[in-house]
Amino acid sequence: MRWVRPLTARLDETEEALGAKAHGLVALHRLGLPVPPGFVVTTDACRAFLDGGRLPDGLREELAAAMGGLEAATGRRFGGARTPLAVSVRSGARVSMPGMMSTVLNLGLTAEATAGLAAETGDARFAVDSRLRFLSTLAAALSGTGAADASTGPGTAAGRGADDEEARLAGAIAEFERAAGRRGGRAVPDDAAGQLELAVEAVFSSWDTPRARAYREIHGIGHDLGTAVVVQAMVFGNRDDRSGTGVAFSRDPNTGEDTPFGDVLFGCQGEDVVSGRTPVLPLRELGSREAVVWGALVDALDRVEGHYRDACYVEFTFQAGELWLLQARPGRFVGAAAVRVAVDLADEHVITREEALLRVSPRQLRHARTPRIADPARADVLARGTGACPGVAVGRIATTTEAAVRMAADGPVVLARPETSPDDMRGLAAAAGIVTARGGAASHAAVVARSMGKPAVVGVTGLVVDSAGASISVGGRTIGEGAFVTVDGTGGQVALGSPPVVTDGSDAHPRRLLAWADDVSGDRSDRDEVQRLGAAHAVLRRERPD
Amino acid sequence: MTQSDAPRSGDDLPVLHTLRCGGYAGVARVAAATGLDEAAVESELIDLAVDGLVTRLAGPFGGWGLTDAGRAADAERVTRELDSAGARPVVAAAYGDFLVLNPELLDLCAAWQLRSLDGVAVANDHGDPAYDARVLDRFAGLHERAEAVCADLAAALPRFGRYRVRLAGALDRARGGELEYVADSTASYHTVWAELHEDLLATLGIPR
Repeated sequence: MRWVRPLTARLDETEEALGAKAHGLVALHRLGLPVPPGFVVTTDACRAFLDGGRLPDGLREELAAAMGGLEAATGRRFGGARTPLAVSVRSGARVSMPGMMSTVLNLGLTAEATAGLAAETGDARFAVDSRLRFLSTLAAALSGTGAADASTGPGTAAGRGADDEEARLAGAIAEFERAAGRRGGRAVPDDAAGQLELAVEAVFSSWDTPRARAYREIHGIGHDLGTAVVVQAMVFGNRDDRSGTGVAFSRDPNTGEDTPFGDVLFGCQGEDVVSGRTPVLPLRELGSREAVVWGALVDALDRVEGHYRDACYVEFTFQAGELWLLQARPGRFVGAAAVRVAVDLADEHVITREEALLRVSPRQLRHARTPRIADPARADVLARGTGACPGVAVGRIATTTEAAVRMAADGPVVLARPETSPDDMRGLAAAAGIVTARGGAASHAAVVARSMGKPAVVGVTGLVVDSAGASISVGGRTIGEGAFVTVDGTGGQVALGSPPVVTDGSDAHPRRLLAWADDVSGDRSDRDEVQRLGAAHAVLRRERPD
Repeated sequence: MTQSDAPRSGDDLPVLHTLRCGGYAGVARVAAATGLDEAAVESELIDLAVDGLVTRLAGPFGGWGLTDAGRAADAERVTRELDSAGARPVVAAAYGDFLVLNPELLDLCAAWQLRSLDGVAVANDHGDPAYDARVLDRFAGLHERAEAVCADLAAALPRFGRYRVRLAGALDRARGGELEYVADSTASYHTVWAELHEDLLATLGIPR
């Protein structure tokens, strides 16, 4: 086939052709790990689409043939009225970038197939919920907004069964069908093959949105790279209470400590974790509720880490107690965590000391000195979000701009808001640190926090700021205005009280790494850390130019 | 609100609405935002304060701001203005266009402030003029599209014309080397943009 490749252990093509996501999935196949069957549409097809303004000749036929392969592998029928096959459609460029469409879930759930899924599972609500997610993710993809907004959708598999709930879902489905049709400029076809072609076109088109173009120009990424499209049989994290989805690092990305770290959501599908709409649970909850899944995940993290010879990141879903991996890549730790992982991997003889030295750039070492909460695992972490401006701020919680200004006269204040607007500028100016419930690293609050150099955590899922009651609640706890909290704008944690803060200059791991650096350079004179590491790099690069 | 029926210069609504969209501000900022001179702004602020619509807070983070009554009066008056001009469909459509541009603007501000180097997101120290020029070029590209949205708005409601002037002014100054006009100062592109966002929400009566 010219444009499409089945995802198997034998697939041997470059990351340029397959994109990072498919490349990672091939690695998982080679490790013998459970990956839902699927195929990838190459970046070549994307370039041909962008040149010609339409799907290239032959792609439709290849998609149909590849779907036939998936049907054979799963024993299900794409768009079928009985045992229907649903797929996920995800973009996968060599580099990921904001503004690009990410994922359409449950594609193939036509009205007829949804009825078939309901009959097969005996769970109409699950089937309708899945169709709603399909339409909401497709609507988002067609509108080019990147992220789905299924806020009218149900949160979890719990509490199913109410008739009015099903009526509400039916209404939401009609609404999303209209929205998807409106945004796409044409009706959503109710045949599975047509839906697949539409989704592939949406992924290809999203490569060329102004946001994506702007990102590439700023970061020096070629416009001609294109994105691949990964199509895989769905695994349903929303199937039942023994299903769910999550993300996991093999080590703690905040500290580098050798313990699995991540988030899990029961009864949910992948977009719920990434979108931050639903409060997530710490990964260890998986161990207590689904021991078999946990065991398989820990084993997988171990193998993936061995493959990359580095800390790693995976996305996973489990359906009815069975684990599936959906994505894998190196962990890309920064700062102190990067230093610790490099040193630990050398101690574990996974990499040499020389490799450990080369993995830590002088900038990483400098970054490791940004103040952090010393040990988030032992601090009383109230909430987590996206670190938007590095540094640590300790202060009393204020829930309004007025309170922040008033309280700032008596000492440092942390302003907590649902999101910020120009109305909050006084409060932002008065505060030492900032916490918001909504928005990402490029939200109004994040931009302003950085312009003022104030540690900030944004996008804290589940945070409710009750200005009238002068309190915040998150994770089942309610904290009154005036309570002391600590904001770590690097790790994205908000902790109660004032846990110990470190700058890591004297920590054991950087010390050991720098001792190795001196061994390599042979220079033990009194210099700053960046010079010591730089001297070692110079020697190593001379010895092993690459 | 009987006060709003009293004879006025016509400059009171721009002053009131500037505080609604920009939050607490001093006289100079309100003057810069409205294009009025400072004496006229101060005179309007005092009249509005007498009517109980604005108040002045002392202290390091003080300034002029709306009272609850001022917020209500502003909402009523911008709604009346919108509907009497028959501008609601145009403003609603422009708001839709704005929402397409908004994430791109915020991305650009983030790229202006942070760079990813060796996989580490670090503060942009503005020591790399080529990088800054790339980001500012993208700002200029975005601005062209924002201009079109502002032009639609200004054609429907002339007061939106101020955003064209202010955004263009911020971009010119940033490109002229005054880097704080991108995302730092109270007259920066980002600040004016956020006020435009707030204005669209306030004008259309959309809650945050």
